[in-house]
Amino acid sequence: MTAPIPRDIPLPLPAPEGLLEILLIAAFLVHILFVHLMIGGSMFSLVCQIRGLKTPDYEKLAYRIMQTVTVNKSLAVVMGVAPLLIINTLYTPQFYASSALIGDMWMAVIPLVTLAFLLAYAHKFWWNHFLNIPELHIGIAALETVLFLVIPLIFMTNVNLMLFPEYWPKVTGFFSAMLLPNVLLRYLHFVSATVLFSSLFFVWWTGRKTFRIEVQFSELRVIDVRRFFYAFAFGATIFQILTGLMVFVSLPAQGMSWEFTVLLMLGGLVVLPAIWWMWQNLTRPGHLLDDNFKQILTCFACAAIVMGIARHDYRENALEDHKAAIAEKTINYQAAVKEASEEAQLAAIKAKETDITLPGATAFNQNCAACHHATLPTVGPALEEINAIYANDPAGIVAWTKSPGKKRPDSMKMPGFPQLSDAELMMISQYMLSH
Amino acid sequence: MDFPIFHIDFIGNRMLIAVDAILHVIINHALAVGALPVIALLEFSGIRTKDPRWDRLAYRLLKVIFIITTTVGALTGVGIWFSASLINPAAIGSLIRVFFWGWFVEWIVFVAEVSLIMAYFLSWQSSGRTPEAKLKHLRLGIFLAIFSWITMAIIVAILGFMMDPGNWMSERTLISGVLNPMYFPQLAFRTTLAMVMGGITMICLTYLFTRNDLPFRTTVLRAISSWSGIWMLALIIASVWYYQVIPQHMLANIPVAVTTQEYVSWNSSLKWLLTIGLSFVGWVLWSSIRHPGQVHGAKYLASVLLLFAMLGQFERVREFIRKPFIIGNYMYANGIRVEDYPLLQRDGILQHATYAGIREVTADNKVAAGREVFEQTCTRCHTVNGINSIRGQLKTMYGDKPWQPEVIAAYIENMHGARYFMPPFPGNKAELDALCVYLASQQKRATAFNGAQTNGIPKPDKISASTVYGTLPNLANPHGEQQ
Repeated sequence: MTAPIPRDIPLPLPAPEGLLEILLIAAFLVHILFVHLMIGGSMFSLVCQIRGLKTPDYEKLAYRIMQTVTVNKSLAVVMGVAPLLIINTLYTPQFYASSALIGDMWMAVIPLVTLAFLLAYAHKFWWNHFLNIPELHIGIAALETVLFLVIPLIFMTNVNLMLFPEYWPKVTGFFSAMLLPNVLLRYLHFVSATVLFSSLFFVWWTGRKTFRIEVQFSELRVIDVRRFFYAFAFGATIFQILTGLMVFVSLPAQGMSWEFTVLLMLGGLVVLPAIWWMWQNLTRPGHLLDDNFKQILTCFACAAIVMGIARHDYRENALEDHKAAIAEKTINYQAAVKEASEEAQLAAIKAKETDITLPGATAFNQNCAACHHATLPTVGPALEEINAIYANDPAGIVAWTKSPGKKRPDSMKMPGFPQLSDAELMMISQYMLSH
Repeated sequence: MDFPIFHIDFIGNRMLIAVDAILHVIINHALAVGALPVIALLEFSGIRTKDPRWDRLAYRLLKVIFIITTTVGALTGVGIWFSASLINPAAIGSLIRVFFWGWFVEWIVFVAEVSLIMAYFLSWQSSGRTPEAKLKHLRLGIFLAIFSWITMAIIVAILGFMMDPGNWMSERTLISGVLNPMYFPQLAFRTTLAMVMGGITMICLTYLFTRNDLPFRTTVLRAISSWSGIWMLALIIASVWYYQVIPQHMLANIPVAVTTQEYVSWNSSLKWLLTIGLSFVGWVLWSSIRHPGQVHGAKYLASVLLLFAMLGQFERVREFIRKPFIIGNYMYANGIRVEDYPLLQRDGILQHATYAGIREVTADNKVAAGREVFEQTCTRCHTVNGINSIRGQLKTMYGDKPWQPEVIAAYIENMHGARYFMPPFPGNKAELDALCVYLASQQKRATAFNGAQTNGIPKPDKISASTVYGTLPNLANPHGEQQ
C-alpha cells in the first residue's frame, strides 16, 4: 500500500521543531486533563442523580459535581486551542488531509460541543426547575453526557487517521475512518482514563474541609461518598491497564519501536505502587483514603506524562517517512516553480520584443474579450455586431462604456470600467472598430 | 491546493465559514469587548451610590454574557479555525506559519480571559459586601474587559494582514506582518464599533430587566446611553480613517461586494441605507440621553439589530474586497499561490495536484477531467447547485441559450480582467477546455458534486506517490534513488 505524498506549505516553521513538540506534549496533557474532568464530571453527576432518586443526598452531590463541570468545560476548550494550533503547524499536510476526509463529522464537533455546553448550563442553572420532573432532569443530564462522550470519538478518529496516510485512499467518510483498526480500542482506553482521573479528582474534591459545609448531607456520610469514588478510581485503573494492553497489541506496526515499547512499560510500571496503595486503603482496616494520596497522584501524573511522550513518539515514528518524503517533494516542487517562473519571464520579454499587436489589443483582451467574442454573441454582443452599430464612431463606444445601460432583455448589464482612462478607452474602441 | 478537497455543495464553503464567523464576531463585539466595560461601570456605580439595584442588574447582565460567550461565543471562535482548515487549508496553514506566535500569545490571553470571566462571574455573590471587597472584585471586571479587548487586537492584525501584507512580502517577519498598513485604523474602527454595539445591547437587556422599576430604569439608561453616545462619536471618526486607508483597487470592488453582481447599481442606495441606519442609532442614543424613560424598547431593539446587520455586512465587504486574493498578493482565493501560476499554467494543474484522480485531458475524458479541474480551481467559492452556484452564474450570463464550451472558455480566459475579483485561471489550455465542457454539461442535468468527505481520495498514482518533478534533478536528495 502506498501513501499519497502531498507538498507542505513552503514557509519555514515558526520555531524549532523540538520546541514545538515539547509545547505540544505539555499543552495536550493539560487539555486532556480538563477534558477528563469535564466528561467524568458529567458522567458522575448523572450517576449520582440516578442514585438520588432513592437517596436524596446523592441529588445534592450531583448538583455540586455539576458546578465543577461548567468550570472544567470552559478550561477544556480554552486549553485545547494550543495543541490544536501546534498540530496545525507541525503536521499541516497530514492533519488537514485527515480532517477533510472526515470533514462533515469534524465540522459537526462545533455545534455538538456548543449544544453540550448549553445543555450543561440549562442543567445547572435550572436545576431546581427540573427537580420535580425526573424524566427531564435525568434526561437532560443523559443527553449532555452522551454528547460529551461522542465528541472525543470524533477527535480520536481524526488523530488516528492522520497517522496513517496509507489508509487515506481507503477511507470514504467518517464511519469508515472510525472503523479503522485501533480507533475503538483507543477510545475505550480514553473513556476508562476519564473515569480514573475524574474519580480521583472527586476523591480529593470531597476531601476538602469546605465540602462538608457546601453540600450539607442529611444522612449520607462524606466518607461513604469518598469510598464510592475511590472504588471507581481503583476499578478504572485496572480496566485502564487491560485496555492499554489491548491497544498496544493492536497498534499498527508503522509507529512501533523499542523506545516506544520501553516508554509504555515505564508508564505502566509507575502505576503499580499506586495500585498497591489504593488496594491497601480500600481493604485494610486502619488505612485511610488519604493515606499516600500525594504519592498516588504523583504516580498517575508521571504515568500520564510518560504516556503523553510515548504517544508523541509513536506519531513521529509512524509519520517519519511520510514527513521526509513530503519535505523532499516540497523542495523539488519549489525548484520547479522557480524554473517555470523564470521561463515565463523570459518568454514575456521575448514576446514584448517581437510584439506586433495593434495598440489597444492587450487592453481589449484583458478587459473586454471575456464577454465580447469576435463572431459569437456570448455574454455581450459579438464584435461584428458592435462594429455594425458603431462604424466610424469610436467615441460612441467610449461614451457607452463610461455609463453603460441595458439594451438587451436577455443579456446582463455591462459593468463600468472606472479603472480605464479616456485615452485607454479610445484606444480600445479604435482597436475594436479596426478589427 | 495540495489537500483533499472538502466541499459542501448546498450552502457552499464560503457560506459555512461566513455564518460561523459572523455569529462569532457579533457575540465578540456586542457581548464581550463592548459589554464588559459596561458591566464594570455598573458595578462601580453600585459601589459609589451604595444602591444594591446597580449590582443586581450588573450581575443579571453578566449572567447572560457569561452563558453566551462561554458556549456559542467560544465555540464559534474555534469553529472559524475548523471551517478554515477544511475550506482553505493552504491559506490558514500559511497564516499559521507566519502568525504562530501571535496566535500563541492570543491563546495565553484567551486563557486569562476565560479564567477571569469565571472568577468575575462565579465569585460575584460570594465576594463580600464591603466596599473594599467589592472594589477588589471590580478589579477582576476591569482586567477582564482589558483582556477581552486584547484578544480582539491580536486577531485584527491577522485580518488586516490578509487584506494587505505590506512589508511582509519582502521581510517575512512576524512584526512586519502585524504592523501592516491596515492595522491601527481597523483596530480603532472595531474598538469603537464594539463599544457602541455592547452599550446598546446592554441597554436592550436593561430595558427588559428593569421593567418593574421605572425610575431606576431611567437612571441606568441615561448612564449607558451617554457612555455609548461618546463612543458613537469616536466611531464616526474611526470609520472615516479606516475608509481612507483601504487601497483604491479594493474600493473599486465595493459595489460588487455589497450586493451581488446583478445589483451593482444598488451600491449608492446601500450607502444611503448605511448612513440612515447609523443616523437612526445616533438619534435613538441622543433621545435616550435626554429622555431615557420615554424611548420605547422596540427602538433599542431595532438599533441593536441594525448594528448587527451592519457589522455582518461590513465583514462581508471586508472579505470580498480583498479578492481575488485570500492573502493579499501572495495567495489567490482558490488557495493557489501567485508564484505557482507559471508552473501550473505550463504543465497543467492536474499534473501537480496530488489528490486529483485524472492527470491528462484526453478526447474521451473531458467531462470527468473538467470536473477535477472544477474541484481544484472553483469549489473554494462556488458550488454546482447551491449558494453562489456555477449554474446560476452561467444562467445569468447565457440564459437558456445552449451553453457553448468555447464561449465559456473565451470568458474564463479573460475573466480576471473583466472581473478583477476573480483569480486568473490557473491551469493550461486543455484543462480550460475540459472545464468548460464540464460546465456546459451541467446546464440540463447537473451531477451531484461531493467532496472528499464523501468520495474519499483516489488511489495514489505515480505522480501522487513520487517526490520528484518531471525532468528536474532531485534537489532535495541529489544522491538518493529515484522513486
